[in-house]
Amino acid sequence: MIPIEYYVALSAILFAVGGVGFLVRRNVLSVLMSIELMLNGVNLAFVAFNRAATHNHAGQLFAFFLIAAEAAEVAVGLAIVISLFRIKRTVRTDEADLLRN
Amino acid sequence: MSFFTTLFPQDDFALFGVILGMPLLGALVNGIWGKRLGKAAVRVMAVTTVVVSFVCSVIVLLALAHWVDATGHQEGGKTVHDHVRVTWTLWQWMHTNGGRSGGSIPIDVKFSVDALSAMMMLIITGIGSLIHLYATAYMAEDKSFHRFFCYLNLFIFAMLILVMADNLPVLFVGWEGVGLCSYLLIGFWYEKDANAAAGKKAFIANRVGDFGLLCAMFLLAHFTGALDWNGIESNAAQLVDPPVDALRIHLWPLGGGRYEGWASFLQPNNPLTISAATATGLALLLGCTGKSAQIPLYTWLPDAMAGPTPVSALIHAATMVTAGVYLVCRLHFVFLLSPFVMMVVALVGAFTAFYAATIALVQYDIKKVLAYSTVSQLGFMFLGVGVGAFSAGFFHVFTHAFFKACLFLGAGSVIHAMHKRVHDDDKAQDMRNMGGLRKYMPWTYRTFAVSTAAIIGVPFLSGFFSKDEIMYRAYIDRLSSPMFERLKHEGNAPFTPPAWIFTLLFAVAVAAATMTAFYMCRCFFLTFWGDFRGWTIGRPSLLAKIDEDEPGEEDLSIPAYPPHESPWQMTVPLIVLATGAAVAGILNMGLFHVTPIDHWLEPVFESASKAAVKENPSPSAGALLPFGLGAFVVGSYAAYYLYVERKGAAEQEYIKAATRFTQAMTGILFIAIGAVLWGVVPWAVGGYPRYIVCGGFGAIGAYLIMSYVYVGLDKLYDETAVSLIDALADTSAQFDRYFIDGVIAKLTAFVVAAAGTVLRAAQNGVVHLYAAIMVVGVAAIGWFFVIPHADASVAAKGSDFTVTTGASGGYLGYAFEWAQCEPDKKVWQKEWDAAMQVDDAKKRATEQRRVVEDLVAKHARCEAPGDKWTAVNKETVARDGTKDSFGDVPEITLHLEADSDAIVEEARPVRLRARNVFSPALRNYAASTTVYVPRPAKVTSIEVGQNQ
Amino acid sequence: MSAASMIYFYVCAAMALGGAIWTVAARNPIRGAMGLMTTILAVAGLFLALHAHFLAAIQLIVYAGAIVVLFLFVIMLLGPSATSSRDHRGRITRTVSGGLFLVLSTAALYLVVRPSWNHAYKLPPYPSDFGTIDAMGRVLFTDYVVPFELSSALLMIAVVAAVAVARGKHKSDAVSGASREEPS
Repeated sequence: MIPIEYYVALSAILFAVGGVGFLVRRNVLSVLMSIELMLNGVNLAFVAFNRAATHNHAGQLFAFFLIAAEAAEVAVGLAIVISLFRIKRTVRTDEADLLRN
Repeated sequence: MSFFTTLFPQDDFALFGVILGMPLLGALVNGIWGKRLGKAAVRVMAVTTVVVSFVCSVIVLLALAHWVDATGHQEGGKTVHDHVRVTWTLWQWMHTNGGRSGGSIPIDVKFSVDALSAMMMLIITGIGSLIHLYATAYMAEDKSFHRFFCYLNLFIFAMLILVMADNLPVLFVGWEGVGLCSYLLIGFWYEKDANAAAGKKAFIANRVGDFGLLCAMFLLAHFTGALDWNGIESNAAQLVDPPVDALRIHLWPLGGGRYEGWASFLQPNNPLTISAATATGLALLLGCTGKSAQIPLYTWLPDAMAGPTPVSALIHAATMVTAGVYLVCRLHFVFLLSPFVMMVVALVGAFTAFYAATIALVQYDIKKVLAYSTVSQLGFMFLGVGVGAFSAGFFHVFTHAFFKACLFLGAGSVIHAMHKRVHDDDKAQDMRNMGGLRKYMPWTYRTFAVSTAAIIGVPFLSGFFSKDEIMYRAYIDRLSSPMFERLKHEGNAPFTPPAWIFTLLFAVAVAAATMTAFYMCRCFFLTFWGDFRGWTIGRPSLLAKIDEDEPGEEDLSIPAYPPHESPWQMTVPLIVLATGAAVAGILNMGLFHVTPIDHWLEPVFESASKAAVKENPSPSAGALLPFGLGAFVVGSYAAYYLYVERKGAAEQEYIKAATRFTQAMTGILFIAIGAVLWGVVPWAVGGYPRYIVCGGFGAIGAYLIMSYVYVGLDKLYDETAVSLIDALADTSAQFDRYFIDGVIAKLTAFVVAAAGTVLRAAQNGVVHLYAAIMVVGVAAIGWFFVIPHADASVAAKGSDFTVTTGASGGYLGYAFEWAQCEPDKKVWQKEWDAAMQVDDAKKRATEQRRVVEDLVAKHARCEAPGDKWTAVNKETVARDGTKDSFGDVPEITLHLEADSDAIVEEARPVRLRARNVFSPALRNYAASTTVYVPRPAKVTSIEVGQNQ
Repeated sequence: MSAASMIYFYVCAAMALGGAIWTVAARNPIRGAMGLMTTILAVAGLFLALHAHFLAAIQLIVYAGAIVVLFLFVIMLLGPSATSSRDHRGRITRTVSGGLFLVLSTAALYLVVRPSWNHAYKLPPYPSDFGTIDAMGRVLFTDYVVPFELSSALLMIAVVAAVAVARGKHKSDAVSGASREEPS
């Protein structure tokens, strides 16, 4: 059987990759996709821990609600990207500096 | 009655909610919507709420009587009852730690009523409702009618909280509440500066007293480990027992140190200590002097007459000022533990009674006479409780409420009539402008007469029974108790007041009573007898313009209608109160040994009656009666002679003589304080302080007498404390203007602007920069969780103490070390570092253990003699770094075998030291913390497993 | 049995990691979306291995079937300007923060993994209906009905918000390339 630590380690790596991508990439769509990656890593961790403690389904249900919330977040995020594009005609984060000063 | 007792059980008497809630509701409604509702609604609301509270208080009294009766049992041939309390708990407010063993003291919002509180509740709500009714007519033309009743109801609410409280913090809430309402009501007509200033003075004087009450609370929490009445009563003995030096309060040297080197001239031969009971009692006394206007904090009460007369009647006659007496009665078991404090209370009371009476002799303002009379009567009450006659002192509270309220309301009635024509406030209250009012205001006259007779002690009226009882008890009571006998055997005899003190108290009380009779009769004669001196009585001329006169410059020779009797709302309360003043004495006739009130209060003052007060074989009440009667006769005849027979012809000479006497009184007061301190305080210290302190008082007194300057206590305060603060304020103002505004403000402005320019660079609006900064923040937080923390807590179980650390991701090694004093840090560090250098894990564990044992052995001189600490589970002392330590909570159990003679002092520190062995680079990262392992309180009776 | 599950795990893990790196590194966002899809499929497979059947199905339906598709729609909508040009501004900030985060994650990983370096945590037995649609449905509508309702409210709010944000002020505000040529 696969030890749970492997799953947790994998989720940590996924999260790390997503986080690095979020910080490094400049294309706002890539940033959003990196966020997805991070959330996937988190979901994996939740489900893995639930497998290690099977007296209730809390971990899986939490992941379920995370998916739902995260879907909502993506929808709104992409709507914002569209608005940004409409104003600035660009998808680059460093040109989205309307909050300057 | 059984309906109520079944509906509300004794420990959950929810009717208290109605009693407390009705005035609060009235205050809220009148305050928020009063203006819109109109005067009629406000009036009805205010009076109804208090009347409902009164009815419920009566029910509470009957229910309490029912329960008290049920506990009657035979003891020594008499029927005795238990001390019954009816309680109601609202919620758990907070808790604190205290007591000898450092246990937790829960503080709940809890109300409890026993015999004493029930009587107070009746006074507050009953007399309160009468005064509310009175005020509806008195304040009828005031534009802030609703605000007045809002404050008045709020006052009733706060006062009820005070008397119904079950513990000191809740009482303190009520205490502050009545102080606040007093301020609001005294300064009710705040447009005039003098009124606002008077309100401020009252509040500030109260506040000084509150400091004392807070100190007392801290002392009680620390020594008795409880703040509610039951708890304090059961643990009160811990204030004096055991009489070890370590438990006494060190006055000189301050805090129990030693003055060495250049300060060694301050070191006394024997340290001056007082018992905790004395310190608590004195602190409580300070609180009571502030609230009940005794020396030295009485100066606010005469000024408080700036408020409307119903306020004076309610707050400054019947209820708020008796809160101090109530507190003394409530905590009588604490006061009884310290005969010194009891003597101080009695002396303060007696001197205040005398001093205030002398000032009242020369007052012309009718309200000021009554104000000083109140201070004087409060002095009598304190005298009563100070000699141990708690129920007698409290009975005087009860009767005083009746006749003083009646007197104030009568004065208000007179002022109300005078105001119709005389618009100047001061002139309207001046007795020189009154006279002969018995023709025009019959009911006021009759009730005022009855109340005056009561206050001066006319036989068989209420004041006669209560005041003369106090004077009698002052002469004969002595304090003693089994505990004092035991302490005497052990060589720690408590302070015993010298026998001449009691004669002095009696003499001062008789003198004060004589003066009371004199000035009250003077007031009565000047106001109601003789000819009317206010304005010309006659038909008012249609051509004369009266109402447009400037106050103070009105022409009182223009005829006007005579002063008229007050409306029924004012006369009915007067009649009720006067009846009470006349007959209330029946309730406690000490002379004829028919004392239902004493019997009713007996369970409350059990420790006073059973164990504390022992009466000297001494004259019976009848033998001392002539003194009381004589006081009344002499005083009233002197006033009669001066004012009626001689028609006030010798008034000027009398005033001059009396004024000189009063002026000298302050000086005499100081000298008297000095003399009493000389004779009474056990000056066990080297010679100088005695001379300095007593000599100082004497010198001030002599100066005051010599100079004949009327430096009343008020003016003394003005010239010393107030001017000091004024000078301080001036200096601060200059400092503020030049230094702070000029330099500091400009400097800080520059710094802020520069920082702003720098920081603005970070706000460039680029998202990934923000994200980067967030990561840095996360890194910092992560670092905080990774580095080792040494956090530990102690659980005590008898003589075994378990020290537990918290788990953290940062450290994999730790050790415990215990010592009483701070070990030499450098040695500790070096040895510890050496121990941690060993690479082999097994060897490292042994090294750590050795280091710890070595340290204990090396610093053995820091241990208390005879103490032996051992670690029960020694194998967990040092942890092996290679074993996984996550998830296991490290702990060590220490066992104390203490020497039976060891004095209990501070707790023992146990140091936890944590090391980070996460990586070689972080090896040197260590943290340490010290937890204090408490020591059991009574060293000789340790039993394993018993929770101290 | 054990060998098969090991192989299965390693394959899914490799796919997940590969997909993640592909998502992060791809310059063309459509390639990135494909990487995301790979990761999602791999994670769904891992869910299956962890006996979370219901969740695996939901993952595929919602994530792979809706969210990635939404991403693709938006990328298509943005057209060629969705791809950002190569540009080195702000490189230092990004590298530093990315590196710091990587360090942190490694440290956290070490903290997690080190205690169980020598022995693994024994997996407890699971009840027979663990993670099935039956059991999850039952729990979802009894114990967790409040979060369930709340999340449906959240989704509705998100729909309304997305429409409100993306609609813009004028009805004729087209996005793709065309400039507004209306007479002022």
